Order: sequence, then C-alpha cells, then structure tokens
Amino acid sequence: LNHLDHPHRKHNVCMVSDFFYPNMGGVESHIYQLSQCLIEKGHKVIIVTHAYRNRKGVRYLTNGLKVYYLPLQVMYNQSTATTCFHSLPLLRCIFVRERITIVHSHSSFSAMAHDSLFHAKTMGLHTVFTDHSLFGFADVSSVLTNKLLTVSLCDTNHIICVSFTSKENTVLRAALDPEIVSVIPNAVDPTDFTPDPSQRDDTKITIVVVSRLVYRKGIDLLGGIIPELCLKHPDLYFLIGGEGPKRIVLEEVREKYQLHDRVRLLGALEHRDVRKVLIQGHIFLNTSLTEAFCMAIVEGASCGLQVVSTRVGGIPEVLPEDLITLCEPTVKSLCDGLEMVIAKQRAGNVPPPAAIHNRVRTLYTWRNVAERTEKVYDRVAKEVVLPLDKRLQRLMAHCGPVAGSIFAFVAVLDFLLLLFLSWLVPDYVIDIAVDASGPHGIWKNKHSRKDFKILSDTSFT
Amino acid sequence: MSEDKYSDINGNTILLNSCSHSSFCREFTISTPKVSLRKIMAYTCSVWLIAYAVFLITENTTVLSAAIFVTLLGMMLHLHFVKIDHESLLIIGSLGIQMSSSYASGRESTTFIEMGKVKDIVINEAIYMQRVIYYLCILLKDPSDPNGVADVVPLFQSSKPRLSCLDKVYKSCQEIIGQC
Repeated sequence: LNHLDHPHRKHNVCMVSDFFYPNMGGVESHIYQLSQCLIEKGHKVIIVTHAYRNRKGVRYLTNGLKVYYLPLQVMYNQSTATTCFHSLPLLRCIFVRERITIVHSHSSFSAMAHDSLFHAKTMGLHTVFTDHSLFGFADVSSVLTNKLLTVSLCDTNHIICVSFTSKENTVLRAALDPEIVSVIPNAVDPTDFTPDPSQRDDTKITIVVVSRLVYRKGIDLLGGIIPELCLKHPDLYFLIGGEGPKRIVLEEVREKYQLHDRVRLLGALEHRDVRKVLIQGHIFLNTSLTEAFCMAIVEGASCGLQVVSTRVGGIPEVLPEDLITLCEPTVKSLCDGLEMVIAKQRAGNVPPPAAIHNRVRTLYTWRNVAERTEKVYDRVAKEVVLPLDKRLQRLMAHCGPVAGSIFAFVAVLDFLLLLFLSWLVPDYVIDIAVDASGPHGIWKNKHSRKDFKILSDTSFT
Repeated sequence: MSEDKYSDINGNTILLNSCSHSSFCREFTISTPKVSLRKIMAYTCSVWLIAYAVFLITENTTVLSAAIFVTLLGMMLHLHFVKIDHESLLIIGSLGIQMSSSYASGRESTTFIEMGKVKDIVINEAIYMQRVIYYLCILLKDPSDPNGVADVVPLFQSSKPRLSCLDKVYKSCQEIIGQC
C-alpha cells in the first residue's frame, strides 16, 4: 500500500450498502465514520442505501454527507431483493449526477452492494468492496453466498477486509488474488469510550456483556457460564446489554437458578448508552463463535475493562496479548479464563482503567482507517476498469463453466440495458448535482450556502 | 419581460417567460410544446391496429366502435386533465403566491397561498420515476411549531424544468421574499 504518487488527488466516492442508519450495527457506524473522515480529508462522499419505512429520498447528515434512501423492496433481514437489473436506472442516475469515480460497497450480506458493484463495472467505474464478516465453507447457504461472492469480486478492483483472518477467509471463499486484498481494521472513537472507575461498585465484581443475543454471538455459552460462576462467587454480577432471539436462553437460566438480583438483562441499547453500561463493569466478556473483527472488545478495553474473549476468527489480532484473555469457545475454558481474571481483580493485580484506555486509544482511530482507505482509492484510480470483452473472459475463466456463462450473459444484458437507458435518458439530460462535500463542496462555505438552500427533511416520490 | 429557452428533465425545450411587473411583483410562465400531431397519430394508429387485430380474431364489430370511442374519449380526457400548456407562478411580495396551470383544452386551475403561510421557497431533490431530479417547492409554515414545515407544495409539476431554469426562478423569488 505504498502508492502515494498523487497525494492531492480527490475522489468522488459513493458508499453503497443496505445497512445504514437508522439501522444500528457495526457496518452502519463503519460507513458513517469512514465517510466523515474522508470528507474531512477533502473527498466527496455520498451514501446510497434503501428506504427505511418513511425515511426515503435524499438527506444530508453532518458536514454535508449526502444520503440517498432509494425506494427498493426489502426482502430479508434489511437486505433488498435482487434481480440484477431493476436498480440500474436509479443507480446510474446517481452515479452520473454525482460524477462518481469510485464505488465502494460494504458487506457481503447486502444485495444492493453487489448490484451496485455489478452496475458500476458495467458503467466503467472503479470499484472497491469491504467485507465485514466471516463465512463457513460447508453448509448450503455458505456455498451459495461464496459462489455469488466469487462472481461479484472476480472483476472488482480492490477488496478491503477488516482483519487478516477475514482476508484469508475472503481470499479462499472468493478465489481471489491476495495482491488485491488489503487489510484495514475497524476503529472506535476513543473519546466516546473513556473509563470512569467511580461509576463501578468495587464491593462486587461485575461482568459486562454487550452484544446482540443471537447464536453467532455464543449466547448459549453465556447461558452455561452464568450459573457455574455465580455459584462459586457470591459477589459476582452480570450486566447484559442487547436484544435478540436468544434472550429466552438467558431468561431461562436466570429463572432456573434464581439469579434475578445478579443477572440484569438491559435489553436493546442505543449506541450512546453503551459507555454507561461498560463503565459499570470490571470485566468485559465476549463469547462470539465467529467474528471478523470484534469492535465490542476494543470498546470494552477502551473503557478500561479487563477483556475475556473466545479465540475465534480475527479476535486474536485485535488487542495486544496483555490486554485480553483468550479462551477456547467452550464453557469450561471460558470459566477458567474468567476465574483467572476474577482472581487477579481481587488481588488488585490489574492495570488501572486509565492506563488501559491510553494504550487502546491510539490503536484504532478512524483517521488512520480513512488514510489507509484513501491509499486504496489512489491505487484503484490508476487501474483500468476491464472493458466488456475482457470482463466476460474473466467471468468465464474464474467462476466455473455454469455460473460463469450465466453471469457473463447477465453482464451482457446489463450492458444492453445501460445502452437502452443512455438512449432513453442521455447523460447530458441528467442535472449535475450540487456538491455538498468534496473540493467544491458548499457545505463548509457558509456564504455560498445561503445561495442554495437545502431542505433535508422532505421528499416526495 | 424576457423569454428564455430551457429544457425539461427529458431534454425537451421549454420556454420560460419572466415578467417583472414591479420590484416586488414578478410572474414566471413556463410553456411546454403543444401536443404534436405525430404523437396523436401514433397513439390512434396503435389503438386501432390492436382493435383490428382483436376484431380479426373475435369477428365482433363492437370492438371497432369501442376503439373509436376509446380514442376520442382518451384524447378529450388527456387534453382536459393531463396536458398542461402553461404553468405560471405569480409572486407578489407581502401579499402571496399564485400558481396557475392552463390545460390544453383551455381549462385553468389556480391556487393562491398567502404570504403569511409561506415559510420559504427552496430547491429540493426527489426520487421520481427511476430518476433523481431537482424541483422547486414552497414550504408552508406550521402554525404550532415556528421552526417546523407543515407541508411542501411542489411548483411546475407538469413541466419539470431542469436545474438551470429552477435556479433562475429561485433567485428572483428569493429577492422578493427577502424584501418582506
């Protein structure tokens, strides 16, 4: 990643993902924070996502970050349905009017991200893809998703993964050349997660868990740990934030062992409330079964907590060894790890929260992420986008005879549809949008903003 | 009084006629091309050809008379309710804004908004028919909330001019609104 020939080159970036605010999660905040830092660096950034209930149309967020909420049908789990074609007219209009040079898609679960990569390549734009999750190889859904990923990524200019484990996983799943895959970890905003030891009760020991209560997060393991440790340590308390289908497991455990006063289930947490919960604890427990890069443990450590986590996926890369206790994803191993940390905590043999915070705060910052992403953009901007014939050859060669032929055919249809659209609505008929961010952005300039008032909360479709 | 050529969002030519009656009273009229004979011919022919094809299969003559009836009625309804020849915006400082549209049949419809209700005139973006377009709209004050917007009234809905035209109208309107 040492391509710094054009340090002043500014890009027009379009982030595409099905997942964006008001939906909450890691991908959403990643896109938002990264966009804000890129705007700060002088690039023009817009975000495209699907409409969330009554939130549709065009909106502006802080610093002129423009968000398009497109009226596309949501199919499953906030991901839109895909037909490979129906989103082309709207996406083309947006790419043209915003003069986009780089399309950056996020998350392999998002159908819209794959669609936009496909259309962007048809339109000859540079493409970048960020993968946020790990997959298996064996079950039917993984096999299908992996095939889709192979097709989607075989002619994408560059891929970004959040950890080395994730990179290895993606390279294997999508049969990619590791050269075009970069690792850029996630970040946390250290000012959001500062320790405050006065908020915690030192007469007891509190273990905090903040995660969605779903199978992937190992909530069944948590259900096994709670009774075992609570029986051994009468001064141990659990504070569990998050909501999900596995909540019932924890409620059953609480009922069965009469632990109502010692296990508190807080339900869904707003992101701003996470710190309030974290600073009440001594130990942060993460029981994930699969994780590409665990933001939660960085947030926990940043609040000065002792972190205990399972040794899965990219977690071992995330924190330095002395700040985290890694265990196997079994109840016994996790209990042993927790016992050890509890013993240390009782002996007062742990570094003070402020010291942990100071070490963690410099590890992962969004500015650093934006800088590294910028280098990827600089590199991608110099590459050539494959013309249609080369792209078809690549698809046929990389994706196997059946899927390759099908998607080559789809790519040709997409190209024909694009030709039809550019005959129906030629590029010169589409108004060039007024830039809100970027080199000619009018947001930062208060005087010119009066000239062109922007109404952000209304739209009609 | 001046007349400028602009284009609408589909690339067709439209005429913007701006007329300054006084420093606080201006009128903008956007005229779209008249219904073209070619278009009428195309629609009529296609309806009649389809009707004739159906007639050949069913051998029922009512299909043909129905086709003639449908074409005539369709044309009348189109001219009376859909096709707008001129859309005009009359803005009078301290009094209000009048929007009128005259249909191809000669029918006119007029709406008036008093200045007390108008919060501002802005250019906004919207998703319209698989496209993202700019449009000019009037924001109405919300009586219960001084900073809120009760409703949005889009202007030039039928002619849909492009940004360059909207910008011109917007700037003149702001001059007048700024005075009061």
